[in-house]
Amino acid sequence: MNRVAPGAAPLHDAVSARGLTKSYGDRVAVDGIDFEVDPGICFGFLGPNGAGKTTTMKMIYGLATVDGGELSVLGMDATRERRVIKSRLGVVPQETNLDADLTVRENLLQQARYFGIDPGKAAERASELLDFSLIGDRADDRVHALSGGMKRRLLISRALMGDPELVVLDEPTTGLDPQARLAVWGALDRLRRRGVTLLLTTHYMEEAERLCDRLVIMDEGRIVAEGRPADLVRSHVGREVLELKLDEGCDPDRLIASLDGRIQGHDLSERTLMLYADNAEAVLEQLDHDAFPTESALARRATLEDVFLRLTGRSLRE
Amino acid sequence: MAMLEEPGYAGIGPRVPLRELVPIPRLAGAVWLRNARVFSKLWRGALLPTFLDPFLYLLALGFGLGTYVAHINGIPYKDFIAPGLIASAAMWSSAFETTYNVYFRMNELRLYDNVLSTPVEVQDLVAGDLAWSATRATVYGIVVLAVIAIFGLVSSWWALLIPPFVLLGALCFSVIGYAFTTLIPKIDLYSYFFTLFITPMFLFSGLFFPFSKLPEWVHVVAWFMPLYHLVEITRGLATGPEFWSVIGNSAWLVALTALLFTIPVRALRKKLVA
Repeated sequence: MNRVAPGAAPLHDAVSARGLTKSYGDRVAVDGIDFEVDPGICFGFLGPNGAGKTTTMKMIYGLATVDGGELSVLGMDATRERRVIKSRLGVVPQETNLDADLTVRENLLQQARYFGIDPGKAAERASELLDFSLIGDRADDRVHALSGGMKRRLLISRALMGDPELVVLDEPTTGLDPQARLAVWGALDRLRRRGVTLLLTTHYMEEAERLCDRLVIMDEGRIVAEGRPADLVRSHVGREVLELKLDEGCDPDRLIASLDGRIQGHDLSERTLMLYADNAEAVLEQLDHDAFPTESALARRATLEDVFLRLTGRSLRE
Repeated sequence: MAMLEEPGYAGIGPRVPLRELVPIPRLAGAVWLRNARVFSKLWRGALLPTFLDPFLYLLALGFGLGTYVAHINGIPYKDFIAPGLIASAAMWSSAFETTYNVYFRMNELRLYDNVLSTPVEVQDLVAGDLAWSATRATVYGIVVLAVIAIFGLVSSWWALLIPPFVLLGALCFSVIGYAFTTLIPKIDLYSYFFTLFITPMFLFSGLFFPFSKLPEWVHVVAWFMPLYHLVEITRGLATGPEFWSVIGNSAWLVALTALLFTIPVRALRKKLVA
């Protein structure tokens, strides 16, 4: 499926954006962002609802026009060469927009027609992709008979009908149960091993940590952080987190002052205090529990979720 | 119907360059094939009402009213209306296909978001949908033609040429319905389309009575109605055509269809590729 041989220097980025901007009326959805995606990697877009992730995806796959800046996809200008770009792209949309009047297999065969694939090759490819997504035994069922997880996997198969070099996935596992999510992850792993470049948005931090080689965190139309998941955790939070639920009488400011120099940062939300440190267990031992009574204390590894909440805040966005 | 998500009014959208108006036949064909495939599963249920409808008109007006109104312009009343029912069947079919059916595919199934993220562009999608709607209408038209022929209401062999002209007329009806669908913010507005446009056109396009004794302004209004031109063509071919009348009415239909094609392309682009 892939054209990037291991070790060969790629000719261009899979996607690159310079000062990319998009507004809907007065609302600025994407506010001058820059990023590059190397071919063959899995690149993630994280951010709260309304951060501009879906709009960015839509500009990449041609369902939103570019207002300002530059966007090149597979080395081509996203506006001028939209049709050519789309012929080399696969899209898994956020909404399940399968064709309810067709069977599972017919959905794939119809997609092949949009890509101008000849019927013999399309039939072969459809069978292959039904197996790939583990829905081969449901090929002749109507779409509405499928479970949510199967529909998602069918969407992925559909996105692969055109043999894409780049697959864009907008929240591919939202609303799925843990088993269905594992199955989708498995499919994405297999795709990446074939060298297909993956671009995905997600609200699940563990998903981003597990799948993404690199990612950006977006907020209010801007990119607020960019890098490899592990590096982002280390640079924005540290290695570990001590999560304290404070008693009524405990003054968080004084507690923080008492730990001066032993923590790298903190966040307070209602009565929960997050302390970021290299060794959370040690901080907990040094804490004066008589002066600062706590309901509970948890020392744990820092995660991408901590980075995310640090950078985009803890308050609701909608 | 209240539960349907309303798509909102996006407007007609900016002008587009000519090359973005010209569809690629292979991709428009892919869109056509999808609709044909779905129709091939449902046609038994879908064909019967459209076939019964003109049949009932023929029965009530042709054989009922026709016993009182013996002749119009020298031809028996049922012979007068029968060929027009081919045209009106095509109109009703086109109107339903490009309103409710397109609306459902676009706003409920959200199929167009997927189609447009493949190499298919808006103009290919619109052209494929219009071609399908016209095909379906022509199938209905042929069924009605067969029925009136069986009733002995076709007096000229030129009637065999009717289907391609029905296809042309149906394209014209379809582009009007499609334009309406891409512009309306909510599904409730279809009742206006049918009550204020399709039904009056059905009644006042010279299908059931000629205009010759009516005031001049009625002629002027009717001249702007596509159904009037298609009825002229089908009636002409069924009863022995006047060459220039067929050419003139066809040219009118071609011109209006070509002129209106830009509206759904622009509006749909504004709506889905904004």
